[in-house]
This record gives sequence, C-alpha cells and structure tokens, in this order.
Amino acid sequence: MSKIHGSVEALRIALAALRANKARGVLTTLGIIIGIVAVVTTMTAANGLANSFRESVSVLGTDVIYVSRMPWIFQGNFFQFRNRPNLDLKDSVKLARQLGSEAVVNPTDDTRRPVKYMSEVIENATVIGTTDKHMMVSSAVPEYGRFLTAYDVKFKRHVCVLGTTMREQLFGDVDPINKKIKVGRSAFRVIGVMEKQGSAGFFGGPDFDSQIFIPVSTFVKEFGGRNRSFAFAIKAPPGADVADFEYEVVGEMRKVRKLKPNEDDNFAINKMDSLLEAFNNVMGVVLMIGMAVTGISLFVGGVGVMNIMFVSVTERTHEIGIRKAIGAKRRAILQQFLLESSMICLVGGAIGVALSFGVAAAINRLLMPASVSLPIVIIALTVSVAVGVISGFIPAWRASRLNPIDALHYE
Amino acid sequence: MGLQLCSVEKTYEMNSVGVRALRGVSFDIDQNEYVAIMGPSGSGKSTLMNIIGCLDVPTSGTYVLDGADVSALGEDELAEIRNEKIGFVFQTFNLLARSDVFHNVELPLIYAGLRPARRRKLAEEAIARVGLADRMRHRPNELSGGQRQRVAIARALVNQPSILLADEPTGNLDSATGAEIMEVFDALHAEGNTILLVTHEDNVASHAHREIRLLDGLIASDSFQSEAA
Ligand SMILES: Nc1ncnc2c1ncn2[C@@H]1O[C@H](COP(=O)(O)OP(=O)(O)OP(=O)(O)O)[C@@H](O)[C@H]1O
Ligand SMILES: [Mg+2]
Repeated sequence: MSKIHGSVEALRIALAALRANKARGVLTTLGIIIGIVAVVTTMTAANGLANSFRESVSVLGTDVIYVSRMPWIFQGNFFQFRNRPNLDLKDSVKLARQLGSEAVVNPTDDTRRPVKYMSEVIENATVIGTTDKHMMVSSAVPEYGRFLTAYDVKFKRHVCVLGTTMREQLFGDVDPINKKIKVGRSAFRVIGVMEKQGSAGFFGGPDFDSQIFIPVSTFVKEFGGRNRSFAFAIKAPPGADVADFEYEVVGEMRKVRKLKPNEDDNFAINKMDSLLEAFNNVMGVVLMIGMAVTGISLFVGGVGVMNIMFVSVTERTHEIGIRKAIGAKRRAILQQFLLESSMICLVGGAIGVALSFGVAAAINRLLMPASVSLPIVIIALTVSVAVGVISGFIPAWRASRLNPIDALHYE
Repeated sequence: MGLQLCSVEKTYEMNSVGVRALRGVSFDIDQNEYVAIMGPSGSGKSTLMNIIGCLDVPTSGTYVLDGADVSALGEDELAEIRNEKIGFVFQTFNLLARSDVFHNVELPLIYAGLRPARRRKLAEEAIARVGLADRMRHRPNELSGGQRQRVAIARALVNQPSILLADEPTGNLDSATGAEIMEVFDALHAEGNTILLVTHEDNVASHAHREIRLLDGLIASDSFQSEAA
C-alpha cells in the first residue's frame, strides 16, 4: 500500500521536475534519442532484411540445387570463373539422363527485353526461358490460366506466363488470357498469370513478380543460344539426402564436363545455404553497426543523464532534507530520483521512437520494405527506462544517503 | 509515556577537533507539558531539538520516546519515528516551494502510506485547524510569513504526533505575527498536545509552563512557572 502511494508521489515529483527543466532535459537526452533511433532503425532494418530474405528464399526450395557457371556469391578473383565453358541445354539433357528419372533438372536463363501490349511498354523486362519443370523446382504456381507444358517447350510455342506485377502494368483490369503481347520482336500469347511471390531485390536477387516466362526452346530460338550459359535447377528425388545428392550431382556434372580427376570443377553448385550466408553477412554488418552506434550513443546519453541527475540532486538537497525530516525513508528518495531519471530517458526514448518512424519511412522508400513494429517500440522504451535507471542510480543513491540535518541546512 | 533523556552528549567532529555541543543533558517531559528551551546562541538548543526530533542521534546517553529507546536506531527507523511520533516546526518554515498548501500538509501522510481519501480528510482538518481552509491551493510564495508558519504547524500536526517540536518558530516573524503563532501553540496545548519549543524571547517563553535553560551544552536551570503566568 505505502509503496503504491510512494510511487504516485515519486511520479508526481518526477513530472514536476521534468516540467521545470524541459530544455535541459531534452538536451541531455540527445544521446538517448540518437541511441533509440539507432536501436529502432537497426531492429527495423534487420526485420526488413529478414522479411525480404524470407520472401526471396520461399520461392527456392531447400531441396533444390542450382548448377551454374558462376557461383552466386564468390570471394576472390572474378576472372578465375570467366574462362569456364557455358552450360548449354545439351548438358542439361545429359545430366538429367545420368541422374535418373526421379531427379528433376530444369534449365533456365533470362534476358532483358522490351515487352509490349497495345500502347503499354515495359522496357527491360526480365524474360525467363524455362520448362514445364519450373513448377517442380520452385513454389511458383499460376494464379489463373496455366503454366508452360512440355508441349509448349517441345514445339517452341510462342506462349508466355506473366508475373503478377507485369500483368498489372500491361493489362490493368483487362483479362490477359489469350491476349497477344510482344516480347522482343515476336508476338506471344498469354496463357497464365503467376501468384504473387515477392521480391529479393535487396539482395540483388530478382523481383519474381516482374518476370515473364516463356518456353526455353522458344527463348533460344528468339534470343540465341550460342553464348548463353544456363542454370540448372535440380531437385533431389523424394526421400534422398540432399548432401548425398549434391555429391552425386557434382560427380555427374564432372562426367558431363569430361573433367579429369586432377582438374577442378569448372561449374558451380549453388544452394539456398549460400544465400543464407549472404544474408547472414549483410545482417551481421547491419547489426554490428547498429549496435555500435546504439551502444555509444546510449552510453554518452547515460553519462549525460547521470550528470543532470547529480545537478538535480544538488539543486534539491534542501527539498530532500524536508522530505526526510517529515519521514521519507531512503528508499522513497531513491525511488523519486530513479523515477525522474527514467522519465527523462523515457521522454528521450519516445522522441527517438517518433523520429525512427521517419527513418523507417526513408528506408522504406530507398532500400527495402521496413516498418517499425510494436514489439520494437516496446523494446526501445524499455531500453530507455533501463538506461534511466542505470544512469540515475548513483545520483539517486547519493540523494537517499544524505544526512537530513545537513540537507535541511543546505542553501 | 512522554520522553526521557539521560546523560545525552553530542560531539561534532570538526577537522579532528571535537565540538561538544551537548555535554550530558538529562530531563523528562511528560505528556501535555508545554516546555520552552532557552539559552544563548551556541548553547546547544538546536542540537538538543534535533536529537529529540530524531533528526540526529546522541553520541552517548539514552533517549527514550513513548517507552522505546530510540538513541541507537538506524536511519530508516528514525525516519519512521519522525513520521509517526514527531511534529517539527522550523524557524525557516521549510515548506516545499513548488507544492501548494494542501500537498505540503498531506506529505507526511503520503510517506506514512495512507490512502488518498484518508489523507485528504486529515490534511483538510489540520489546515482548517490553523485557519487556512481558504488557502488550500496556494503555494508558499503566495502566503505571508505567519501563514507559512501555520502551514508548517498544520504539517507537523497532521499525523497526530506524540510531541510537537518548534525551533524558534517565531524567529522569522514580526512580534504581532509571532503572538498569533503562539496563540496557535497555546490552543494546541490546551487540546492535549505536548509542546517543546526553543526561543530567545521571554514573552514567547512565558507561554510555556516550564523553562529549561541551556548553557554550554549543559542544563543551567529547569523551572516550572506558576499557572498564573
Ligand atoms: N553540524 C555541526 N558540525 C559542527 N558543529 C556544530 C554542528 N551543529 C552545531 N555545531 C556546534 O554545536 C554548538 C551548538 O550549536 P546549536 O546549533 O545547537 O546552538 P543553538 O543553541 O541552537 O544556537 P542558536 O541560538 O544560535 O541557534 C555550536 O558551537 C555549534 O557551532
Ligand atoms: Mg539553534
């Protein structure tokens, strides 16, 4: 009971003290404000990264291995990969034959071409040559219409499937099915539209919704196949161990490439793991910078608050004397000043959170989808209060230990 | 009940030199006594009051208040006694400048842990008791010196203490206002309160029924005045 009333009194005092020293309080909390902006921005950015990552990898299955000329992510010299021979469609057929009928091998490549419907033109649309197996190696599903079939590939049909963003841009409210669009210089019939999949743009990955899919055979016919290197998406047979399967793929690829035992692989195996690695690297850097800025500013802010609390205690020594003379215990005084420092920091934290919404909006426009979430706000405010309690503790402790008579006589 | 002092000494350490403010003071004060403490400046009056008011502890000797020895208590226990048993009125009022009359008077009850409704009732009674019911929401700087001292008395009274202590309560007031304050003390005494006050002025001391004179930290005289005075 007495604790509750004591807290109310302490809160009252803290608010009065804040009101009396507005400008000073805001100035000292600058460090806290910056620290909170840093922590909120870091966590928001990390969240945004994680979401983008999840979106981008959700399309790629965990049991799918990608064989291509170049690794997705590489360290060291780019030129060491440059002389590698291309992977062509014949390689894909050979590999598929060697891996057996249970494994799925889907060759793809992409190019940038203008796509046109009536007066709507999209320059540099990502055109993907693929096969009917595309759906088996990714989570992509048509929303309506149908995807490419083996016959579309076999007969090099001029048919295409649109990503949802692409459909919106070209057709708006018009039903695109069976409409003719121009891809590069030839006409294609729209046979389907994909479900929304999201973008991996932040990782330098594709925006899956802005793609257009055509049969790989048609792709080669239209855009040439000689200087292309395809990527093969390979799905392990059901129940197979992915690591073992990877080993098998490497072995079979070496045969396709006719490599001697002492020769290095001249192709790359890519997995979602390598994306994960890239993601972790980016995330690590973001977190490290964020936490460093946060730590430094909160430390500086905390020292500032400690300073101002020493001033506050000194200024109110006489008041402390009065309170003690009429029966305030040490804990009541301690609580009073801890609450004051927490409130100062909480105000700083609230300002910081408010500013963070602006920063998040900027990140949203410039970098990636990001929004400040409620848990982040709660964490930020908790952190501010914690800084207040920590930095206010020594001054508050000193205040609580003042001798009542000395404090009363202090002018 | 009441209070008993036995060989109370107080020595202040100043640059390794001991200042002996009290050198063995003994006396009893019974309930509903009205005592004036007098003596020249530096004789130890305030030191004595601080010890009786549990703001300080004696260097040696015992102090028994309401049957309990309080001479060796810790800081928080002393705070509790100050809160429950002592009402202290200071020469310089010592009110919280930023709080209004009501809050100043309510404050001891907050530290006592009373509920708001009960606090309100007791504080309003105490404020009415010193004649300031219409000044409840004023701040100290909006009041005269006499009114401020009345607020301080109300604050000292509000927790119904065993003893009311006043260290030169009229020292900062003109004589007319001082006389009004003394009327308040007289009335409080008439209601059964125990009052102990320090003063330099004979006309103030004459309100009391007993006069203890200090000299150099010792009791020089302890005399009861006739009722007629
Ligand atoms: N905190 C202290 N530290 C050191 N010496 C002190 C302290 N307080 C009081 N003294 C000394 O103790 C002695 C008694 O002081 P005290 O304040 O009790 O006198 P007093 O009788 O109240 O005087 P006055 O009438 O001037 O108020 C004085 O010599 C004073 O200097
Ligand atoms: Mg004195």
